[in-house]
Amino acid sequence: MTLSLLAELIVMPLIAFVVGLALVLMMRRVRARIERRIGPPLLQPVYDIVKLYAKRTQVSHGIMHDLAIVMLLGGITTSVCFLPVPGLEGLARQGDLLTLVYLMMVPMLGLALGVGSCANPNGSIGISRALTAMLAYDVPFVFVVIGLAVAYGTTSLPEIIAHQQSGGIATWGAAEMPLLAIAGFIAMHAMLGKEPFEIYVAPAEIATGPMAEMSGKYMGALFVMQSFQLYTIGALYVTMFLGGGENWLTFLMKLFAVVFVSVALTNVYGRYKTDKVIRFMWTWPTGIALAGLALVMMH
Amino acid sequence: MSLLDILFLGALAVALAMALLGGTRPAGVIATLSYAALLAVLALMEPLLAQSNAAIASSVKFQIIGEEIGWSMNGLGWFFALITVAAALFASWFSSGQWGAVQYDMRRQHVLLAVNVFAMLVLLSSQDLLGLFIGWELVSWASFAMMTQRGGAAARAAYRYILYALAGAMAVLAAIVIIRAHAASFNFADARMAVAALPSATKWTVVALLTAGFGVKMGLLPFHLWQAPAYSETPGASSAFLNAISARMGLYALIVTLLQVIGTDVLTNLSVQFIWLDARDIIMWLAAVTMVVATFIALMQTDARLLLTWHGIGQGGYMLLGVLIASPLGTAGGLMHVMNYGIYQAALILSVASVMHRTGTSDLDRLGGLITRMPLSYVTMLMGIIGLAGLPPMNGFVSKWMIYKSLLEGREPLLLALAFVTTLGTILSVYKLIHNIFLGQLRQEHWEIREAPLSMTVPMLLLGAICFVTGAMPGLTLQLVDRAQAAIGVPLLAHHLGGVTLATGSLNMLWVVGTMLAMMGMGAVIFYLLGGRHRAVHQYDNYAGGHFLSADLRYHFSHEFYPGLARVIGPWYRGWIVRAEASLIRLSDIIGHAWRGSFDAGITPLYVMAALVAGLLWVRSAGGLP
Repeated sequence: MTLSLLAELIVMPLIAFVVGLALVLMMRRVRARIERRIGPPLLQPVYDIVKLYAKRTQVSHGIMHDLAIVMLLGGITTSVCFLPVPGLEGLARQGDLLTLVYLMMVPMLGLALGVGSCANPNGSIGISRALTAMLAYDVPFVFVVIGLAVAYGTTSLPEIIAHQQSGGIATWGAAEMPLLAIAGFIAMHAMLGKEPFEIYVAPAEIATGPMAEMSGKYMGALFVMQSFQLYTIGALYVTMFLGGGENWLTFLMKLFAVVFVSVALTNVYGRYKTDKVIRFMWTWPTGIALAGLALVMMH
Repeated sequence: MSLLDILFLGALAVALAMALLGGTRPAGVIATLSYAALLAVLALMEPLLAQSNAAIASSVKFQIIGEEIGWSMNGLGWFFALITVAAALFASWFSSGQWGAVQYDMRRQHVLLAVNVFAMLVLLSSQDLLGLFIGWELVSWASFAMMTQRGGAAARAAYRYILYALAGAMAVLAAIVIIRAHAASFNFADARMAVAALPSATKWTVVALLTAGFGVKMGLLPFHLWQAPAYSETPGASSAFLNAISARMGLYALIVTLLQVIGTDVLTNLSVQFIWLDARDIIMWLAAVTMVVATFIALMQTDARLLLTWHGIGQGGYMLLGVLIASPLGTAGGLMHVMNYGIYQAALILSVASVMHRTGTSDLDRLGGLITRMPLSYVTMLMGIIGLAGLPPMNGFVSKWMIYKSLLEGREPLLLALAFVTTLGTILSVYKLIHNIFLGQLRQEHWEIREAPLSMTVPMLLLGAICFVTGAMPGLTLQLVDRAQAAIGVPLLAHHLGGVTLATGSLNMLWVVGTMLAMMGMGAVIFYLLGGRHRAVHQYDNYAGGHFLSADLRYHFSHEFYPGLARVIGPWYRGWIVRAEASLIRLSDIIGHAWRGSFDAGITPLYVMAALVAGLLWVRSAGGLP
């Protein structure tokens, strides 16, 4: 029992890593096709990580800068372990949806601490904007999570998946609670930090913000984090609204479909201003989520 | 002589010893050891409180209007007493070395700390309404004395506090008089029966008076304005003590009166027509609004101490929410949060105090980059802010998680949403705190600064470590919470060392923390062992878009840390409560001036004479005189 669990703890992050790299590749290829380019080759994400790790210039801004990378990688892989996938439940019964939501903030905090210790105002402004964005998108997300928890009467992810799989597509979260699913999608799209909510990278304004002082493997770690992030956010959405995965084939299809919609959307938007992001997030998605919550409460 | 007598005598002995020896060099060590001894006494009391209705009586008693008033400590009081004494221990440990040596009047600080501990112990062992009131007044005046000790802004803030506290005490007294008039006894059990039989208008009056009166101490909205300035102007170690536990006395009194004397069944039966709310809902909404408002006020602060004390007010809201849900999970979460909050808040305040000790300021716009000079203070603050923000692996996460779950079980989605939003606001503001003090550019005037001495860093780090250990093993704290829960009469929450197992989603922190550590270890391997070697550079070796950075250039991004957010929510801070309070103060000033005029020497005898004549007439009319 414990041994198989330990095996799962090794396998789950590995799968997430590989799938995440594939998601990054898809994101780039989608962008390329929209811009009428061919796009990068299959192994390009791997080449990028190897290149970044092998760079000669690896600038450290103190111990906290290094530890932040450790905290960030550790935090994001921990959240992967609490996200059940077909056949692998991992630690999903030792923590629940609320735990996962908070675990997903740990890498964010790690990044923020590391960037802060770089003493670059561009980085600090980036973090200020990233945290502001978090406050913006987490408000609708909170209502979505609460709505889901009230509707299913549980916050245990395996239970939520089991409920959704009990009656085919009709019992999927998205079918039972379409309003929450819409609000949840907008909030999770904002979590990815892509256009139009890309305020904390904003290359033209703050020189890519948090990434301004990241060179070599620091940048490589951020790249890895991005692929994990695509995976976790996509998989969480699939778990919450699309019935989780009956098997790996359907799970991956759903996951890629969700992330595809998201990364395709980013290409048609520009970047909002910070206050515009907050105003948007606190009106439309929050309003939709509140309406969804009200419907759930009435049942 | 019972253990409670020993505890009281011990606390008084510390006060006496500090009055005699407080000015000497080893005073801090003596105080620390004495509080450790008091903790040992509390530990000895624990087995005696294992039964649900157990209490340890004191032999101090007196008679008043035919009733015997005495003191005895039950599990609830014991739980709060444990935090009180532990907070005093860490506060005096912190001041036992260099910090105490540079204080203006350390003897007074030691004495006042001991007096506060004594007053709180008296309050925490009250067994009837009169004892509760006596303890309450003692605590009010003791903390007033503690806040005024430095004079200036602190004294003004403390003056404001005592006005609130006195008004609150009058409200409490009025409620006690009403209950006593019907119960003909001060006893909690008699009071409970009497309250249940009251007409609903009177019940409402009692509930409102008690909530307002005790809510003042907790900083419950709209009585929240006094606390932040009063606590933050108090010197570091005392401030840590006040922040960690003092405001929680209000929570204790509310638990005793609302849950034990009035009872949740009475509260939920007091419903307001047309808005589907009952008395308990209203207090819970008050707690939730306090939580959000105080946290977002904290977000806008530019002083580290004010920022933290405003958070203290907000965190009180979580505790009250959990306790009022009154389910096993909710009360356990609320009470656990009292302890967890005490631990990380003390750590945070002490780490700010050590920064102030070295730099002389806690202004968030005048610091920065201290991580290279004060790494241990940084580590303490990091552990503290993770606890305050309620993220794993620290203890704050566990208690907040339990409160969230209990709100979910109690079907209070909107209150839960407010609790979540508060947590988000907390994350933003604590990052600003640690960023502006420890990260970013180190200012030229701080180049020579050294880490605080061990007498300060050791207690701080110990608090941070407790914060982590009780986060990884919440069962340790929950065992203590059991005692308090048994005393309130709420069924105990089944728990294990790692957390709780529920049908609706469990939490096992041993796995959460273990996995985090393992994964971070893996991250460390990937980062440190693979790839090219990294080299450390000077802070001015930075990407600056072609500019050269130098010491005279200040580029630390600290002032107005969240400009985008301020643009949206800035206009909401209109401060109508501040203005209402200001006009109230002006009104009381006007009345005060008018009154002072009437005390002029020439007129006073006239008043005395008039009062005498009126008194005689009254006695005459009552038939007392021939």
